[in-house]
Amino acid sequence: MSSSTLLFCVCAFFALAGAVGTVSARRPLRAAMALLAHIVALAGLYLTLHAQLLAAIQLLVYAGAIVVLFVFVIMLIGPASETSGSGRAGMVRMTSLVLMGMVTVTIAFAIVDTDPAAPRLPAGYGDVEGVGGALYTQGLVPFEIISITLLVAIIGAVAVARGKTAVEKQIEAKEKARAEVEARLGEGAAPAPAE
Amino acid sequence: MSWWIGVAPLLLLLGGGLLIMLADAFAKERAELATTTTVTLALSGAISFYVLLVDPVLAPAPELVTRYLATDKLGAFFDVVICLGAALSTLLAGGYLREHGLERGEFYVLALFSAFGAMVLARAADMATLFIGLETMSLGVYAMIAFRRRSARAAEGAIKYFLLGSFAAAILLFGSALVYAGTGATSFVGIAAAMAGGEASTKLVLLGLLLVVVGLAFKVSAVPFHMWTPDAYEGAPTPATTFMSVAVKSAAFAVFVRLLMTSFGDPLSTSAAAGWPPVLAGLAAVTMVFGNLAALGQSSVKRMLAYSSIAHAGYVLVGLGAAARVPELGVSSVLFYLAAYTVSNALAFGALVYAGSKGKEAVSYADLAGLGRRHPGVGLAMAVGVLSLMGFPPTAGFFGKYYVFNAAVQAGGGWVWLAVLGVLSSAVGAYYYLRVVVLMFMREPAQGAPIAVPMKSGYVLVALVASAVFVMNLGLLPSTVLEMAVAAAQELVGA
Amino acid sequence: MILGLGEYLSLATILFGIGAIGFLVRRNVLIQLMSIELMLNAVNVVLVAVNRFHPDNHAGQLFAFFVIAVAAAEVATGLAIVIALFRLKKSVDTDQAASLKH
Repeated sequence: MSSSTLLFCVCAFFALAGAVGTVSARRPLRAAMALLAHIVALAGLYLTLHAQLLAAIQLLVYAGAIVVLFVFVIMLIGPASETSGSGRAGMVRMTSLVLMGMVTVTIAFAIVDTDPAAPRLPAGYGDVEGVGGALYTQGLVPFEIISITLLVAIIGAVAVARGKTAVEKQIEAKEKARAEVEARLGEGAAPAPAE
Repeated sequence: MSWWIGVAPLLLLLGGGLLIMLADAFAKERAELATTTTVTLALSGAISFYVLLVDPVLAPAPELVTRYLATDKLGAFFDVVICLGAALSTLLAGGYLREHGLERGEFYVLALFSAFGAMVLARAADMATLFIGLETMSLGVYAMIAFRRRSARAAEGAIKYFLLGSFAAAILLFGSALVYAGTGATSFVGIAAAMAGGEASTKLVLLGLLLVVVGLAFKVSAVPFHMWTPDAYEGAPTPATTFMSVAVKSAAFAVFVRLLMTSFGDPLSTSAAAGWPPVLAGLAAVTMVFGNLAALGQSSVKRMLAYSSIAHAGYVLVGLGAAARVPELGVSSVLFYLAAYTVSNALAFGALVYAGSKGKEAVSYADLAGLGRRHPGVGLAMAVGVLSLMGFPPTAGFFGKYYVFNAAVQAGGGWVWLAVLGVLSSAVGAYYYLRVVVLMFMREPAQGAPIAVPMKSGYVLVALVASAVFVMNLGLLPSTVLEMAVAAAQELVGA
Repeated sequence: MILGLGEYLSLATILFGIGAIGFLVRRNVLIQLMSIELMLNAVNVVLVAVNRFHPDNHAGQLFAFFVIAVAAAEVATGLAIVIALFRLKKSVDTDQAASLKH
């Protein structure tokens, strides 16, 4: 067994274990940790495929940004981030589970027989220079469009999750005042029922 | 003429978006942002309209661009449709956001960048740009749905759409990865070459294609991938609903058309046994029937319009499926239908926006009772909108339906039956559309029911007049737009 | 044992299936979001693996790079909506968020 095959087996095992751990964990924090293990294992898999730069990016972006973001939100939400009990629509969930399992097995069978020999790699394949060069020449257009995607995400996140703006506070204050006035008027017209 | 004009609409939206972000930080008057946004979108659409109308000889764009973004007439056609839909939505937002105390500049920035994503999606020539465009468009839309931060309904609609949308995007992405595995290419042209050359692993490619079709069917809200539609449409502020129902749907259909026609026009992929036409036929049949039947039972006009938009996706799928046999006719009918649907739906939603005021949206049928008598202008706009959606001559919707079903009949075989089913189900649809008209003009509101008071907004008024003019223009003089659609279709299928 | 494309594709498909099942079965929004990340990661394995067997350009690796960037953007927006929902409902259970009609 060659070293790259060994690395593949180890990484595949941890990737699978991490994935199962993520979807089966009861606490979101545990799921996030399992996701982290999964991500690190995938970075190892990328190394066996001669994608060194991508392995590094995988660690930086996924482990460094995405998992951290998840952990932040879990901390922010606190104990309520944990939900209990099994699904309400048990039948629906069982059916979808069986269905997905079947689909997965079918696809796995369909693709096992595609087995071309691994071709020789050109110089610079997968390293910083090769991928970076491709990114800034061949892939320049989508690379630039991605910057807009990230911008939209930032603006969207701010628009959805930030606290009340000054205008909204004004509106709420007005509504409160109106409700108070109405309540007082109601008292004047008909005496409030005794508690 | 330089090839830059082909991508100028995209660049203009980017510049406009950045400008509005800056202006939002400094401007006191938020309403001006609506004007700026609308003008940016209108200019952007006008550039592409000019390209379609004059058909100037353009220098070929460098491979760096065309590998990922198509600079053809199909792209230009959808620039116009998407920009028009987005411009009408932002005009509606100009009135709606103020009336309902949601006046924040982010909405316009999100709408602009979302329209940018939609245009990238419509011009995508590679699986990578398809995915990036799809996500750019969707992320903006998710945020627009959740824009009413004090409304639990908005947050619920947004989370439902977000989760299902991301799930569908992942399925689409897995499909395109399988296509890449089967063909060794991610660009649409490269996939077509591999399929024609016979070096592709067909099992993988067809499996991948199926997953891609499922992902796109979700975005156009075809049954059974429509579960998110009514909730997201209802929870969103009405201008965002308008945007979703016109721009998002058009862009998703644009890439659907382009992908199927460019990459999967080979005999195997279009075969009745293993290809995409039977899948589309099945989706179309279920979508038309279910959409119309479900719309019948709604008590909220907003939800009714959501189900009606599902039904309309079914009609478009008929035209798209027929394109397997009659490419030029099928594609041009889809293009014309989407243009007609965009203006009709914008008009109906616009009337709904106009009918509500001061934190109270008019959403139920009861809200609309007698509205046409008290406020004939709004009533007329609503009536024209729903009649066009119904396919009543001489409105835009009539010709849209006519061309789509004509394409299906010309395709022959089972497609004729699908056209018959389409006509029958739109007859069912007539009931719920006419119900709106009857309620508005022939009923009085029930005693003590809250009476909807239309808002006073120049923006919404402009949007209503503009969309009404387009609806009638497409209905009375469809030839200009139809010729553009045919030219775009011819260029795409290489006839 | 020599590693071929089949091993990688099978592994990726199984990972994708696990993610999809997690998404369908779990009710916790956060875990559903993580399941979507699993699915996107599985796609990346396919892209990188296929690129290894068609190494004349970097199309697959570039695509994977784009997917990672978009996934980050998606998570940011998704978590913002989760926070907004949590503020209103005090829960991250998707069945709790079902007050909308089906």
